[in-house]
Order: sequence, then structure tokens, then C-alpha cells
Amino acid sequence: AHAASAGSAEAAPADLASARDKLGRAEVALAAHDNDTALALAQQSQADAQLAAAKTEAMRAQRSAQALDASARALREEMARKAP
Amino acid sequence: MTTMRKFPLILLAAAALAACSSVPADNAQLDHARSAYAAAQGDGRTATLAPVEFRQSAAALALAEAAYARGDGAARVDQLAYLAGQRVATAQQIALRKDAEARIAQAGAARDAMRLAARTREADDATAAAHEAQDDAAHAQRQSESAQRQAVAAQRDAQASQQLAQASQQQAGDAEQRNRMLESQLRDLNAKQTERGMVVTIGDLLFDTDRAQLKPGGRQPIERLGAFLQQYPRRKARIEGYTDSTGSASHNLALSGRRADAVRAALVDLGVNPVQLSAQGYGESNPVAGNESSGGRQMNRRVEVVLSNDEGDIGKR
Repeated sequence: AHAASAGSAEAAPADLASARDKLGRAEVALAAHDNDTALALAQQSQADAQLAAAKTEAMRAQRSAQALDASARALREEMARKAP
Repeated sequence: MTTMRKFPLILLAAAALAACSSVPADNAQLDHARSAYAAAQGDGRTATLAPVEFRQSAAALALAEAAYARGDGAARVDQLAYLAGQRVATAQQIALRKDAEARIAQAGAARDAMRLAARTREADDATAAAHEAQDDAAHAQRQSESAQRQAVAAQRDAQASQQLAQASQQQAGDAEQRNRMLESQLRDLNAKQTERGMVVTIGDLLFDTDRAQLKPGGRQPIERLGAFLQQYPRRKARIEGYTDSTGSASHNLALSGRRADAVRAALVDLGVNPVQLSAQGYGESNPVAGNESSGGRQMNRRVEVVLSNDEGDIGKR
């Protein structure tokens, strides 16, 4: 759920899909009273989701940094042109 | 007994052998987690920027290694190795995010610094421009003052020149006026320009035949001459008496001398300074016409007054 809210479907679609798949299978295993499998799948699902969220947040920050770099470059060039 | 004693040893060896064979071969999932961790460790940024998550991933890898060393089932090792690998990847992503965030903060600071520098430079430029403008203004003022002084001096010069010009004009005008007056007066006197100077000829209307007494009707030209000489005291007049050829030459010479003296005396009576005047009789010499006819003789009976220039120079007869 945390990974989905961070926009991971766009940034880390494979990791998010994997997390959702494993979560579904963990629920199935739990329903079948295969507790060991359910626990393993749930742990993997959580790890996948955390990775998806981290990727998404990293990508977002990197995009912001790139945009800032571009605007700083534009500002620097603008000021260089204005300089006598 | 010995066999009895040996059996458990064999069992133990078999057991040991079995234990050895139960140790799993290389686990691919664990290898992957190890290499991922090694890469993150080699990068250095992950440990620095995401220390908590990096430690967690190290702990997760240790769990997997321990399970593997214990000879836990492959599924268990796989599970732990997978979780460790995902934690390493997550720590790396968090480090990337922190790095980007640091760059964002730096970019903001750099932008602020750049704007501050720009504003400082603009202010410096404005100050410099203001100083320059002040210098220019002061310079312009000095120039203006200098120009003003020059203008005043030039105006004074112009005024002096104008006064000089007016004076010159006045003098020129005066001279011109004097010349016009002189010309007019000389015209009135019927003066003729000759090589001896201006000559005023007074005809025989002045005197009766053989007499040296001025006739009243002949006074007008004498009076004009007198006024002229009084007006121009630096000019001199030589009064020359002439006769026609009737009678003896010596008689005529004496008669012409008396007539010239009579004119001189009349001029002195009118107030002319005697030093301006000289009188001379020339008798029947220098006739201006033939003495054969009465008209010619009348033209020869005359008094000529030769006028000097302003300097008093007078041509000799």
C-alpha cells in the first residue's frame, strides 16, 4: 500500500507487481493453512514493496535535482549574458 | 569387543559423511545477495548516506550466511538471501534519494548565492555608474564654468570691438561727412582741381578797369572763401593777381599785386587768420585765354586763390 501511494506503478512497476503477486499468494497460502509459505511470501512481498517505494522516491528526487540543475544552468547563462 | 567398539565410530564417520554431503552446493540466490552487498560496500555512498538500511541489509545477509552455514534447507537460505538482496537494493535506492536531495539543497544554495552575487554586482555596477556620473557631472560643471568665463571674456571683447567699430564708424562717418562738406563747399567756391592744388578763380567782376578796389557785387565769393578758410584753419591760401595784356607789363604787375592784396585784406577783415594767407601779383603772365578778343581779355583779368591741403602744403607757381 505504501509503495502504491508513492507512485511506484510508474517508477518501479516490476517490483510493485511482484509485491502484489506475492501478497496475493501469501493470502492464499494462509487460507490453506500453509503458514510457512504464507510467512515467506509476505516477507518477500514487504521487501519488494519497500524496494519499490525507495526506487520511486529516489527517482522523484533525482528528477527534481535534474530540473533544479537545469534551471540553475539557465540562470547562470542568463546572468553571464547580462554581465557587461 | 574391538568390533563392537568400532561400530559407533563407523556410524559416526558415516554420520559425518552424511553431514558433509548434506551441505548444499553453491546457492545462486546467496551469491547474488553477496555480490550486491559487495558492490554497495565498494560504492561507499550507501554506507554513508543510508547507514541504518545498510546495516540492516548486512544483518539480513548474515542471517542468510548463517542459515547456509548451518545447512538449513535451500528454500530457507533462498528466502533469507532474497530478503537480504532486496534490502541491499533498497538501501542503495535510499542512498540515491539522499544524494539527489543533497544536490537539490546545494542547487538551492548555489542559486541563492548566484542571485546574491548578481545583486551585489548590480549594486556595485550601479555605485560605479553613480560615481562615474558624478565625475562626469563635476567635469561638465568645470567645463561649463570655464566656458562661461570664456563667454564672458568673449562678450567683453565683443563689446570692446563693437565700441571700437562704432568709434571707427563714427570717425569714418565724421571724415566722410567732413569730406562731403568740404566737397560741397569747394563746389560752391567753383574750385578746380589743378596740378597746383584746388584753385578758386574769381573773375573781373571784382574790380573796375585799372582799379584795385573790390566792387560790392563781388563780395559774395570772397565771403564764401573767408568762411571756408576759417572753418579749415590748417589750410592755406595763396592769392594770385592777373591782368590782361593791355597797358605796360610793369603797370600790370603792380596792378595785379594791389588786387591780390585787396582780396587778402578783405579776407582778413572777414576774420581769416593772416598766417593762412599770402598774396602775389603776376601781371599779364600766365594768361588763360588769348588777349586778342575782349572775351579773352576778360578771362585773363582775374584773381586765382590756390588752396593748400590739410597739411598746409601749397604748390609753387
